[in-house]
Amino acid sequence: MTPVVQLSRPDILPEREAVLRFQGMADGMTVQGQVTALLAEALDIFNETCEPVGIIAELSTSEFRKLFRGEGENAGDTPLEHIYPQAEALALFALTVGGEVSRRIEELFAENNFALGSMLDAVASLSADKAVEVCEASFLHDLVQRGLARPDHRALSYSPGYCGWHLTGQKKLFQHLQPDKIGITLNDSCLMTPLKSITGVLAAGRKEIHLFETNYTCCCDCRTYSCRPRMKKLMDA
Amino acid sequence: MEVLEQISGLLQQGDDEKVLELTGKALDQNISPKDILDKGLISGMNVVGERFKNHEIFLPEVLMAAKAFYAGMDQLKPLLIKEDIPYLGKIVIGTVQGDLHDIGKNLVGIMLRGAGFEVIDLGKDIPAEKFVETAKHEQAEIIGMSALLTTTQPAMKTVIELLREQGLNAKIRTIVGGAPVSEEFVREIGADAYAYDAASAVERVKQLMEVE
Repeated sequence: MTPVVQLSRPDILPEREAVLRFQGMADGMTVQGQVTALLAEALDIFNETCEPVGIIAELSTSEFRKLFRGEGENAGDTPLEHIYPQAEALALFALTVGGEVSRRIEELFAENNFALGSMLDAVASLSADKAVEVCEASFLHDLVQRGLARPDHRALSYSPGYCGWHLTGQKKLFQHLQPDKIGITLNDSCLMTPLKSITGVLAAGRKEIHLFETNYTCCCDCRTYSCRPRMKKLMDA
Repeated sequence: MEVLEQISGLLQQGDDEKVLELTGKALDQNISPKDILDKGLISGMNVVGERFKNHEIFLPEVLMAAKAFYAGMDQLKPLLIKEDIPYLGKIVIGTVQGDLHDIGKNLVGIMLRGAGFEVIDLGKDIPAEKFVETAKHEQAEIIGMSALLTTTQPAMKTVIELLREQGLNAKIRTIVGGAPVSEEFVREIGADAYAYDAASAVERVKQLMEVE
């Protein structure tokens, strides 16, 4: 049986500043009262409409090796193929903040309420990211309880569509995990519904296994290099 | 005309109710809908677009201004149609087949309308044939395509190939954008332009249409 992860609304709500930064707020920029009110409204709507739920299922290194090959479209060399063999434990995960939020965003845009729609979209995206952090912590906590990892270990997530793991990797992941149990489906383009859903693998182990140089071929196409602050945060913790 | 400056200023502040009110007032003063559009609404959005490009304001402020633009525009639209006032150009936009992400595409549409273009937004998950058929039927100058997934961006090439097959690629230009799209991909598929974000989409479209 695949364990369902409890995701509570307060745990996944993003910081206000994070939402504003996600919307493009630069350092030193003055935030107007109108924007602050907009953000408060978006957080209220999110609280009313989100239905967060997730699942986690452990798998062995050899099982993941087969799954990671996916449809054979991964980049030639990827960070993850050096990380997962060093992990103490691996688990697939899927989570969503629900479909109602996306429907509300669409409605707001249809009503020409673009700023609120866009703000709610940012809140929902960042909440899904925070929900992944909850899954990471939950997985590690469970491993520590079972004596399979140490408290100073870390579990981090890696997802198809990033860092050379091709998006078509979703197909094998879905076959194995079956996230339709919590209402997440995949279409032919490997697009998930509800839109604000995230899947991937959790790799738990020493902090150092998660560190890599961002000089892979796939890094050239990356726009965000979001792995860099994540690695920094990991080592600073 | 003072009222047009007021419209422009209030639009920049994102005050949709006041913009709506003053648009009505300007019409009462017999100011032409075209002047209200150009010297009030578009003038205001141009300032907003410039400030956004210079990182003086950020997305929520642009979108509040856009709401104010639409409030005024909704009032002017029937009059502009009645007087047969031309737009700067006509663009068909949509998210390509298989892709349901449309926030980026919506922002592009909002910014293009604010710059004075007529935008036909087909929505999301749009087949190549629909892009081409709509552009032909509507006599659009440009097709704008968005994709958020690496698995769906090849659908952009299908649209461009369809235009070529029908000998329309010189008449109907293409602009593409979205998270996985790069300059290199644009060259590879033979699109006419690439837009990194909504603000740059307006600039690229103006360049393609040779509009000041």
